[in-house]
Amino acid sequence: MKFYVCIKMVPDVYAPLQIKDGQLIQDADRMVLNAYDASAVEEALVLKEKHGGEVEVVCIGASKASETIRKALAMGADKATHIVTSGDENYDSGSYARVLAKFFEDKEYDVLSLGKQSQDTDAGLTGSMLAELLDLPYTTNAVGLEAEDGKLIVKRQGDTGQEMIELPTPCAVTCSNDMNEPRIPNLKGIMASKRKPMEQVEISSLGINEDELKANTRVLGYEEKPEREAGKKYEGEPEEVAREVAQLLDTEANVI
Amino acid sequence: MSTILTHIAIADGKIKRSSLEVLSHCKQLADQGGHTVEAVVVDANASSFVEGIQKYGASKVYVVEDPVFKNHMNTPLLKALAKVMESANPSVFAFASTEGTKDILGALAANQNAAVLPDVSSFELIDGGIKAKRPVMAAKIIASTEAKGDTILVSVRSGSYDLAENETSAETVNIDFSMDDNDLKATLKEIISASGDTIDLNEAESIVAAGRGVKDEEGQKLISELAELLNAGIGASRALTEAGVYDPSLQIGQTGKVVSPQLYIAVGISGAIQHVAGMTNSKVIVAINKDPDAPIFEIADYGIVGDLYKVLPPFIDELKKVKS
Repeated sequence: MKFYVCIKMVPDVYAPLQIKDGQLIQDADRMVLNAYDASAVEEALVLKEKHGGEVEVVCIGASKASETIRKALAMGADKATHIVTSGDENYDSGSYARVLAKFFEDKEYDVLSLGKQSQDTDAGLTGSMLAELLDLPYTTNAVGLEAEDGKLIVKRQGDTGQEMIELPTPCAVTCSNDMNEPRIPNLKGIMASKRKPMEQVEISSLGINEDELKANTRVLGYEEKPEREAGKKYEGEPEEVAREVAQLLDTEANVI
Repeated sequence: MSTILTHIAIADGKIKRSSLEVLSHCKQLADQGGHTVEAVVVDANASSFVEGIQKYGASKVYVVEDPVFKNHMNTPLLKALAKVMESANPSVFAFASTEGTKDILGALAANQNAAVLPDVSSFELIDGGIKAKRPVMAAKIIASTEAKGDTILVSVRSGSYDLAENETSAETVNIDFSMDDNDLKATLKEIISASGDTIDLNEAESIVAAGRGVKDEEGQKLISELAELLNAGIGASRALTEAGVYDPSLQIGQTGKVVSPQLYIAVGISGAIQHVAGMTNSKVIVAINKDPDAPIFEIADYGIVGDLYKVLPPFIDELKKVKS
């Protein structure tokens, strides 16, 4: 199967974050491959190892994003396309989906896969937008993938259970990070990644009008979430403190 | 004057409370701004829910009823919602942020050329659009966002708004729907459900969540006993769903479910940031952990430092007394 995996470079959300004048200060040294996309890459590699095929990654981002692309190549992806942006564009999910749709318009593939959301914005829109723009059958929040007779079998985590869905190809799928543990690139992979092809494409060369990419949503500002104040800690005889808190839940917190 | 449309999600033959929370909020926005609030229900038995929807103030209910909607599938749902949008022509279309919604929201926005803000914790109407707050960066930061356009889609986290009954007599509009099996694109082969009697975590008033400290069947039995006593949903940290101890649909956290019940009891959960992102909006948090330095205590209203195997039996016993 021919996989295209769309990946994104995002801030490491587990690093300390800073807000200044309502703006998020992003430390350029703390940019990482979106964890959900890493799972999408991993799963594509697993299916390639089982059934053969090819895994190509596609990334929209400023020049620095090439580091993130190298990581995916070091994991084992065969080649990459970097759709280069200036880095100061104001894109929302819709803008990204339209760029990707334009890019894939004349490509041949079996599966387009993406992380189910990006770990910085947690929006989770681009995948199903892209599928709709390309008129592809799709499913989201996959926790398992299997290929069978040219079809993609997706195990999807739904609201109350897991759904087994069969998609004809070509199709699109968005991946949860619950499906696997993405491999850590080894030295051999890192060395090999430097020789793998990475094509750079300018957005303007895709034949897309900047007006079409104008975001219709925007962030007005950021604020720290008001911290929850720590309540009281009860230490001592388990029997006593357990009974004390149980009573307080009724008399003080009124939640029983 | 414009129309605010609200999607009413159905699960296990019942209207999801989170949908009614969104409808309650939309009704309030509509009353303030002189708009109309309408609702849409798409289900195999859609018409049976109209009465329940009327209680929350929708002036019109669009009903799309077809056997194909027995289980969630994105293709027919998208087609139905697009059809309803053509009739209702809403300026805002609001959803509860369920997995079902997440599956179609982007596609519907692309299909309708609409602006979209997903998974917000609050929203209000502004001139030409909406303004909303969205938790981002693993819910450590709140982004103030706005969407502008003729049509705006928005999905709202469960527990963001209180229910407010507002009995009306709604006009019912049946929308014709049919779909050829060949047009379904995807085939739903099977649904592997979590055991039938579990309580939907997004709907639960109380949740008992188990973490790594719950080591064996005895621990799980205590969790079940406590949950049953409180009529609470059972949730779990990623460690336990990955180990296969609890069903993956019960995972709470940034990756799993984001919940905001009245009472959240974290048992043997250390409080990693990914887990906290999924439960920090709970009204009252109780933590039981033997490590006094566990980060969960920094956000817990009531922290019990102790071995859960020694704490839970008297805790359950005392709650029984309190309840009777």
